[in-house]
Amino acid sequence: MTDPLLSVRNLHVQFNTDEGVVRAVDGVSFDVKRGETVCVVGESGSGKTVACESITRLLPMPPGEIADGEILFDGEDLTDASEKRLESIRGGRIAHVFQNPQSALNPVYPVGAQIVEAIRLHRDVSKQAARDRAIDLLDRVGIPEATARIDDYPHEFSGGMKQRVVIAMALSADPDLLIADEPTTALDVTIQAQILRLLHDLQDEFDMSIVFVTHDLGVVAEIADRVVVMYAGKVMETGSVYDVFDRPSHPYTQALLDCLPGQGESMRPIGGTLPDPKRPPAGCRFHPRCPHATADCRAGDHPEPLTVDAGHEAACVYYGPGYDSSVIRGGSASESRVADGGAAVADPDDGHDSSGGDAR
Amino acid sequence: MSMHWYVARRVAWAVVATYLILTITFGLLAVAPGDGQTAFAFQAATEGGDVDEARETFDEITGRDEPLLTRYSNYMVNMATFNWGWSFTRNQPVMDAIAAAYPYSLMYAVPATLISIVFGYAIGLYSATHQYTLTDYVGTFTAFFGISIPNFWFGIMLILVFAVDLGWLPSYYQTGRGVWTLANAKQLILPVVVLSTGAIAGNMRYSRAEALEYVHADFVKTARAKGANDWRVLVRHIFRPAMVPLMTILVADILGLLFAGAYITEVVFQIPGLGLLSYRAIIQQDTALVMATTLVPVFIAIVGNLVQDIAYTVLDPRIDYGDR
Amino acid sequence: MAADTQPDTGASERFEDVEWDELGGLGLPRRTQVLVVTALAYVAAVAYDVFVTDDAILSGTNWLFVLTLLVGVFFVVWPLVENRRLTAYYWRRFKKNRAAVVSAVYLVVVFVVGTFGPLLLAKPELNVLAAYQPPVFLSVDSTVPTTCVGQSADGLCHGTWQYPLGTTSDGKGIAKLVVFGMRVSMQVGLVTMLIVVSIGTAVGTSAAYFSGLVDEVLMRYVDIQQTFPTFFLFLIVTYLFKPSLFLLITIFGFLGWGGIARLVRSEALQRREESYIRAAENAGASDGWIIRRHLMPNVSNTVITAATLLIPSFILFEATFAFLGLTDPSTPSWGQVIASGRGDLDSAWWIATIPGVFLFFTVLAFNFVGDALRDALDPRSEGEA
Repeated sequence: MTDPLLSVRNLHVQFNTDEGVVRAVDGVSFDVKRGETVCVVGESGSGKTVACESITRLLPMPPGEIADGEILFDGEDLTDASEKRLESIRGGRIAHVFQNPQSALNPVYPVGAQIVEAIRLHRDVSKQAARDRAIDLLDRVGIPEATARIDDYPHEFSGGMKQRVVIAMALSADPDLLIADEPTTALDVTIQAQILRLLHDLQDEFDMSIVFVTHDLGVVAEIADRVVVMYAGKVMETGSVYDVFDRPSHPYTQALLDCLPGQGESMRPIGGTLPDPKRPPAGCRFHPRCPHATADCRAGDHPEPLTVDAGHEAACVYYGPGYDSSVIRGGSASESRVADGGAAVADPDDGHDSSGGDAR
Repeated sequence: MSMHWYVARRVAWAVVATYLILTITFGLLAVAPGDGQTAFAFQAATEGGDVDEARETFDEITGRDEPLLTRYSNYMVNMATFNWGWSFTRNQPVMDAIAAAYPYSLMYAVPATLISIVFGYAIGLYSATHQYTLTDYVGTFTAFFGISIPNFWFGIMLILVFAVDLGWLPSYYQTGRGVWTLANAKQLILPVVVLSTGAIAGNMRYSRAEALEYVHADFVKTARAKGANDWRVLVRHIFRPAMVPLMTILVADILGLLFAGAYITEVVFQIPGLGLLSYRAIIQQDTALVMATTLVPVFIAIVGNLVQDIAYTVLDPRIDYGDR
Repeated sequence: MAADTQPDTGASERFEDVEWDELGGLGLPRRTQVLVVTALAYVAAVAYDVFVTDDAILSGTNWLFVLTLLVGVFFVVWPLVENRRLTAYYWRRFKKNRAAVVSAVYLVVVFVVGTFGPLLLAKPELNVLAAYQPPVFLSVDSTVPTTCVGQSADGLCHGTWQYPLGTTSDGKGIAKLVVFGMRVSMQVGLVTMLIVVSIGTAVGTSAAYFSGLVDEVLMRYVDIQQTFPTFFLFLIVTYLFKPSLFLLITIFGFLGWGGIARLVRSEALQRREESYIRAAENAGASDGWIIRRHLMPNVSNTVITAATLLIPSFILFEATFAFLGLTDPSTPSWGQVIASGRGDLDSAWWIATIPGVFLFFTVLAFNFVGDALRDALDPRSEGEA
């Protein structure tokens, strides 16, 4: 088995502000294999964007800081890399697509010029050759009449078209990894489907890995190979998409899935609010909102990721010694989704104390 | 609407504005008391002439004895043909006096403008992209200093320190030292410093504020994600889009600042440029000269505005020419 | 609010029980009542001064200054006092900028001294014998002053506390001139700002609200006005007519509002599309009501910041014109004193230096305060420098 293309290990990213230190990413680890699509899921404020942008150190570094951890990309630790090295990696080996296509393109240059810029930053080719390739790319991402439109300005494209241009630009230097941060959130649902399809096709064609950040579980179900669930700067659960959807192992993941409409039962929002990133709760970050929280959960450190199954981990004490994990897996409403009929429903009141549940 | 039509509209507008300003000026002249008549009469009186007769002559010369409408049309025609009257204090046509004076104004104004634009924008951009660093704070502090310090007082203080106390530089400007000589340069240093300080500070503030808006823009992040280095990002992705709003303040406001500042600089340092010419004309009540030297900056400002508007549309492809 | 009628039972009233027709009073908030009374009193006083008495009780400038102070009390101080929580919030944010806090204190001192000082002190008088006295703690060669008011020793004349900042070539005490100059600067800064803000806001909000032809006409006019540099217009006007502080204030006030109008217009345009304007229209509010009660308050923060940053320019302009000798020579002004000291730089350097220091610090203080106000009041600048 080959090494993963990208390996984020115990990443800690913080912001030093006037009002205190904001630990946006507080010990996050996940791997991305070649050709794989990994979805990083979480609510707004969970730290998923910060984690991804710190891979290539795109964050503003005076207030921001990578306090600890390693980011191994193809064997090289990016946290140690010089700015110059990072500049050659950005775009050339790791590309980004961001959320808001409306503002992602420089308004005063034509799109062709911006794609050509992206190409020529990494390949020593003539302007004409780069331009030809740009037309080619625009065509490939589905922009009609690419040759005519290459000299158009960004404001002459619709939102969906702009995002295609951004994708074309990201792919122009043939990167190995594409980090897409909620690329479809700002688009209509129909366009969303087209963009997802496009990314999927391009992934095959360009032989890329994709890290796809999103809060939309529907998208995750559609495109992910593996899923990383983040909450309050920490990883709650990682696993294959089947594992996470069919057998969600962390109470948070279960709660997230419970929030989805259209399951045949009423939606259940998660009670309580996100913790303050400057003063996270002791113990497990999720414990104030967790229906299964025990005394262990409320003190000490956030639990380490523990094995649930092969390739499936959850950072919950219930998967450690002295706990009955079936409480979580069987005792929640997600039993209706368990593919194999699931274990017998355990009595929700044995094996743990159920105080400290929903804080309203 | 095409670009040509837009340009034509703006030029037409500039002409209309000029016309309006000239008319207003004429109106002011017509209702004002004094207006040099007293000075002229006084001069005649000291030379032993007849005061009333002198008054009449003055009216004749300046055309005041004619009906209003004739005076108006004469005035407009004269203005258009650059026949801007006679300066009785300098005993030469006004145009000649202006022609003799403006080279001196250019000598310090041009370097000061260049310095203030280049340094002002550069420091402002640097500050914006290196927020919270020491350079940023120093830059901001200097900007505050520059826009707060009264130009004329600063000039006097510099004279006090460098000319009176230290004796390194001359305390006022003297002609006859050539243009490209070292002696001339020495006496131009303080004026250029005084004039640039205010302008640099203003430029710095504006460019920093505008650039800050763009520093955090999404497309800057995209540019960095593409692998562009800091310099490229700064120039192509921050400065170039920021130039659009920066242009709107560049020409008009800086010109305004420069002219008012230049006026003071010349008076303080006794440089015989347009400002000093105008000032002396005011003191000596030489109306024709006063009008001419005051209107010159106004016209330059109108032209400047026009150039700025056109440049703005060229720089920002998003502007629809159908808009105002 | 309006007078209430209390039910005899003492039980709380329900909305349906309120007899609207029985409620008396004018139905105006207290502030408006006091405002109306004060306004009437002011107009009466001015009319009396202008039409009845021969000698003006207060000069035109001073009447405008009084008006500015009254407006300041009613529209700035009163709302701040009423809305204590909001004021505390703004103050907390303002406090973060220490330079601004120091500046604010300095400005308050200048304001108090400038407003009340000239009432208590006599105007500086010509006294040739006392010319060229150095400031206290300093000394100058004895050949410089005509006579030495302070101690004279070793060929040096020492300063005294009688003239703590020294005297000018006319023997006028510089300290007194500084105090009188404070008033002039305050008047110029504050009164001009009031005029500029009033006209600019009115024009800007109207242009934004009514749009169409009204907008077009107003903005074209602003274009013309902005093109004509006020500095030179003032030069021309002062040349042709008699110079005075009143003239300066009027010209800069009535011709310098274009920038504010444009700013207000663009802000108001953004707000006009917001739902609460729509809601007010649906509720039947008139245009005037909407402009006054909904548009203006929301635009006011930007206006305040812009206005505070205009004050230093006005003060500088006045000083410049005073320096050039183009203002009324009988009004003591910092610029004037500096000009008078120009010829004596090598001997009596303090004449040109000291008033300039005050001028510099005052302008600097306004700039710091304006900058901090922008950060404190503008919600959009949250989190940025």
